[in-house]
Amino acid sequence: MEKAKISTSQLFILMILFQLSNSLLIPLGMKAGRDSWLVILIAAVVSIFLFFIYRALYLYYPSLLLTDYTEKLIGKFLGRILAFLYILFFLYCAARVLREFGVMLLSFAFPETPLFVACAMMILVVIYTVFKGIEVVARTGEMLFVIMIMLAFFLFLLIAISGLIDVSNLRPAFEDSSKVLNTVFTETLYVPFGEIIVFTMIFPYLNQAKKMGKTGVAAISITGAALAFTTVLNISVLGVPLIERSLFPLLTTIQSIQVGGFLQRLDVIFILALVIGGFFKVTVYTYCAVIGASSLFDIKKPSKLAYPMGMTVLFLSMVIASNYSEHIEEGLKIFPLYAQLPFQIILPVLLLIIAFIKNRKKE
Amino acid sequence: MSYRKFLKKMKPKEQRKDLEKVEQKSIGTSITENLNIIKQKTGNSPDIIIRMLTFSHDPEVSTAIVHVDGLVDNPTINEFLVQSMEDSVQEKLEEKDLFKVFSEKVVAVSSLETLKDWDSLFLALLSGDTVILADGKNEALIASTRGGERRLVEQSDSEITLRGSKEGFTESINTNTALVRRIIKNPNLWVESMNLGKQTNTDLSIMYINGIVDTDIVKEVRQRLARVNLDAILDSGYIEQVIEDESSGLFPTITHTERPDAVAGNLLEGRVAIFVSGTPHVLIVPAVMIQFFQTPEDYYVRFPISTLIRMLRVFMFLISLIGPAFYVAVTTFHQEMIPTDLLVIIASQTESVPFPAIVEALIMEVTFEILREAGLRMPNKISATISIVGALVIGQGVIQAGIVSPAMVIVVATTAIASLATPNYDIAISARLLRFAFMLSAAIAGFYGIILGLIMLIVHLASLRSFGIPYLTPLAPLEWKSLKDTIIRGPIWSFNERPESLHPQNPVRQGKNQKPLPPLKRRMVRADTKEGDKNES
Repeated sequence: MEKAKISTSQLFILMILFQLSNSLLIPLGMKAGRDSWLVILIAAVVSIFLFFIYRALYLYYPSLLLTDYTEKLIGKFLGRILAFLYILFFLYCAARVLREFGVMLLSFAFPETPLFVACAMMILVVIYTVFKGIEVVARTGEMLFVIMIMLAFFLFLLIAISGLIDVSNLRPAFEDSSKVLNTVFTETLYVPFGEIIVFTMIFPYLNQAKKMGKTGVAAISITGAALAFTTVLNISVLGVPLIERSLFPLLTTIQSIQVGGFLQRLDVIFILALVIGGFFKVTVYTYCAVIGASSLFDIKKPSKLAYPMGMTVLFLSMVIASNYSEHIEEGLKIFPLYAQLPFQIILPVLLLIIAFIKNRKKE
Repeated sequence: MSYRKFLKKMKPKEQRKDLEKVEQKSIGTSITENLNIIKQKTGNSPDIIIRMLTFSHDPEVSTAIVHVDGLVDNPTINEFLVQSMEDSVQEKLEEKDLFKVFSEKVVAVSSLETLKDWDSLFLALLSGDTVILADGKNEALIASTRGGERRLVEQSDSEITLRGSKEGFTESINTNTALVRRIIKNPNLWVESMNLGKQTNTDLSIMYINGIVDTDIVKEVRQRLARVNLDAILDSGYIEQVIEDESSGLFPTITHTERPDAVAGNLLEGRVAIFVSGTPHVLIVPAVMIQFFQTPEDYYVRFPISTLIRMLRVFMFLISLIGPAFYVAVTTFHQEMIPTDLLVIIASQTESVPFPAIVEALIMEVTFEILREAGLRMPNKISATISIVGALVIGQGVIQAGIVSPAMVIVVATTAIASLATPNYDIAISARLLRFAFMLSAAIAGFYGIILGLIMLIVHLASLRSFGIPYLTPLAPLEWKSLKDTIIRGPIWSFNERPESLHPQNPVRQGKNQKPLPPLKRRMVRADTKEGDKNES
């Protein structure tokens, strides 16, 4: 673990930025059609329970990382293996986000640039950031958060001014409740909300442990609200049929903005949001992998690992899938079931039960 | 080593004896010997003036005064020192201890002290004090007679304001500290002085307000200064470069000013000022990024105006950073973003230009940098020629020759003016250098490159610290209370606390109800309210 401290407000911003980052851009819960905003809200509420599981684990071991207390809970051998698996999971997640980011960026802005170059440029900045440590990540987050908020207000203002919002697109609501719940538990709960499992690697840096519960709940609720709001906006501007066909609904929404004949084609705003989001998510995942590995393998200077781990993420992002549709296929069918479900929900629950039993014995 | 020892042994014995004499630590009793040592140590320099004085009552006892020509105030020596020495000796004929007589009677000079060792004697002599030696005494009397030709207190050239004090610092450290003392008349304004530079023996003072400043910051400043072991300190820039946190980065983590009111304002916020003799630039630590966009004048004009001006400055800084890069990115990668009419204009202009946008931009930027550097160091008469050559020959000619498009010239000119609008030269110059990096990244990857560059810049800035304070405070880490004096400048009556990040000992700045309260009768009031009786004009 690094010798550093972050404040609760920094954690709040980190959590919001991390969850919003790329989920703002991709269609979320679109299986449920025009009720997808409801899917997001329900998933947010469910993920608050998840957050409390992680928090309970943190309260048992307030000064240890997730990869440290697995050892204490299930023994040295098994614990280390589990910690190692978690590090791999973080690396894989980082690589997935990087791949998705690269494909998104190239598909609409730089069709002739090779994917590897775009990802390599990004990973260089990520390595530099991870090298500087969690405090710098947190402070960078604060600055980027301000930029994101200003962008959001600016965008909403423009959309409202250009008169694109058509509320009738949202009706009728609550069509099929089973479809909604199905989407929640097969997709939306894992991405983006379940991804807060990485914050078990960041909670120990908090300087005020008491306020953490409130902060987390506030961050998740705000994220849920913001995502639901964006989805509502997208649906009301574009309508469900158009969204289902578009890769990036927010981009299509932005492109339909036209104010006064000169404010048009504001793609740069989308690129900005895309790069900031992608950067932030990859950075947090890579940081958690680096810090976990450094404590698992007892490396004195975690920053030494930033470069090799960053490169690993880059090459992993190139080799995890031979093309983008395969990547999406894995992301929708295999990854949630065999990786996200166990790592985000089942294992933490099991760990919590073991922690509960162990600590009761002591008393 | 052995070679040197060998040489030492080879020296004739007499000469070695001489050397040993000079190496003596303390002053001897014989005046002629003492004067010889002074002459020898200073290499018989003609500007070391030695005057022998004998007094009529006892011609046996001789005294001498020694001073350096030009460093001393001649009227003080002639009228006050020599004259009153003679007078006092006349008065007290019976007293044998001359120094006692002098120190009791010679009050005309501001300070007198006795010294016994050569090192401090020479330091005092070369600082402009007058040394009084007497036969039979193994000590010297030092009279403070510092003076000589100096620049007067003038308006500073580098920080010009329309409103506020016109005084600027000078090269004299005593004048400078006095200028600040004149603003803050408070015994808690503490000054610590020291002497640094092995060869130059430069005077240096640190100034802070006891009771406001965080003692840890003062301790840190002292520690960092204590390890300075430079040969020479010719400007505060020398000190800045050996005590700053990040010496290889592009961004300054110590700010400097030529204005006493700026120093006073910073001291009152809990910062520490470092004065260096021989330069009008006073260092202020710790410095945060946002300070480089602020000027003292911001606090003298009304707050909505200075808020807008500060926003303008940050905007100008951004333009000077990514202006040309933005143009390169748009014309190279994102043409669809330009409204069609404008695109047609730009396309028709660039049609005849043989280079891609990045080459055009580099040509113009480098030309501009050359013009600027040439104009900066030139005498005024020649710099007029440079502006004519720059404007007419290069600006006009380059377009007519079809080497660079007019749109590019506009972009570069705007950027140039924007970078001049940044009030602090140190931060403007970082933007000037980074601009080229941004131009290249825009040429490689368009907006993606620019945004990645900006993120990298933010990460770098977030990783900087100045004397323990994160460089981006109060934006990151966020401090709500300090936000009102950042890019926005809140009203003076709302500045109730000093900046939190500096951990001031006394965080309360002023009374809570400083908001002006115009009398009730000026407002719109109902007719039956008594106080509103005189509402009509």
